[in-house]
Amino acid sequence: MAHIPDGVLSAPVLLVGAAVSLSGCAYGLRQLATERIPQVALMSAVLFVAALVHFPVGLSSMHLMLNGLAGILLGWAAFPALLVALLLQAMLFGFGGLIVLGVNVMNMALPAVLCRALFVALSCSGNRRRTLIAAGLAGGIGVMLTALLVALALALSGQEFATAAKLVVFTHIPVAVIETIFTAAVISLLLQVKPEVLGFASTEMNDD
Amino acid sequence: MTNHTLGLVVFAISLSVVSEPTWTHKLKVFATAEGSRLAGYAYFTPGGRPHQAAVTVTDADGNVLATTITDDEGRFAVEAKRRVDHHITVGGGDGHVATYTIKADELPDRLLPSLPASLPQTGEASKKILPALPASDADWRAFIDQSIARQIRPLREQLDAYQEKIWWHDVLGGIGYILGLGGLAFGLAERRRRMDAHRSQP
Repeated sequence: MAHIPDGVLSAPVLLVGAAVSLSGCAYGLRQLATERIPQVALMSAVLFVAALVHFPVGLSSMHLMLNGLAGILLGWAAFPALLVALLLQAMLFGFGGLIVLGVNVMNMALPAVLCRALFVALSCSGNRRRTLIAAGLAGGIGVMLTALLVALALALSGQEFATAAKLVVFTHIPVAVIETIFTAAVISLLLQVKPEVLGFASTEMNDD
Repeated sequence: MTNHTLGLVVFAISLSVVSEPTWTHKLKVFATAEGSRLAGYAYFTPGGRPHQAAVTVTDADGNVLATTITDDEGRFAVEAKRRVDHHITVGGGDGHVATYTIKADELPDRLLPSLPASLPQTGEASKKILPALPASDADWRAFIDQSIARQIRPLREQLDAYQEKIWWHDVLGGIGYILGLGGLAFGLAERRRRMDAHRSQP
């Protein structure tokens, strides 16, 4: 559902989406250090594949979004990573349209950036449990914020907001739950193996 | 055994293992059921046809139903007597082997899944085996529809399998695009950084 197809949204929404995504990408690339480029590419590949693996939830099927995780790991660089992943999904599999690409990128990357801020604010480099709770929250909130933005984009294009929001938000609750656990698990692994990816020095961590 | 001979043996084994996939062509078989006649041909990709290659037709349990050899154009034909899956195996005699399966569904209804103990050649028994020919125009239409549906079914299944395969290729291709793009960005950024460093300290 995070992949809005062409022909659904109105022109102003499309323009706003394109403008936000373009500026986000430009800013993300500007402040991206050279040595972090491979990490962004890898995360982009993970984002690309995550949306292709569908698992059944109730009557429909869902896929992971991982924008919370992408935000924690990449910050503003989540914009270019998501742009590339969504562009390839649209071109190779027809997931989401090409004209609405800007809106789709914005819907996933803005929550990612917010999740990064949330994670930085809540996590504590010496406190493992607190960091994992922050990661889980970021993972779940990333999904729900994206669902809300999708509903908002649909509403601004003429669909009734309450109905659209209810539908999109409710169907994403299972995904949010799964991503909360998944994101916390990934961050837990990274804390053990490669804490410097999270901006923590490897010596600072101790189990608590 | 000295180290020297051991080395030779290892070399010979690795050579035989390595040389196997270096065959430049692959034998393939294609066959269709034309009524109860299974006709087809064996061919090499990228080109060529096997001459006088052995053709063995077996059922699902491996029982041999018929054997023949291909003509000089690689063609062969055998008669199906039972309505079971026919596995047609063509051996090129030089280690090339290829198999093609004709499903029981593709064979005409009048063939029975197993041969009756005594062949009912005469009287009402054979009448029972042969389905009645359609009487009216509408019946003919239904008959033709049914028969075409049966013929194109394997084609559809093949297309389906092909689509699945392409999906995987696209996934791998997409990952390749992303990693390639990342590598390119990394290389360009690194070059620019070096040039900046070079310029700042002449």
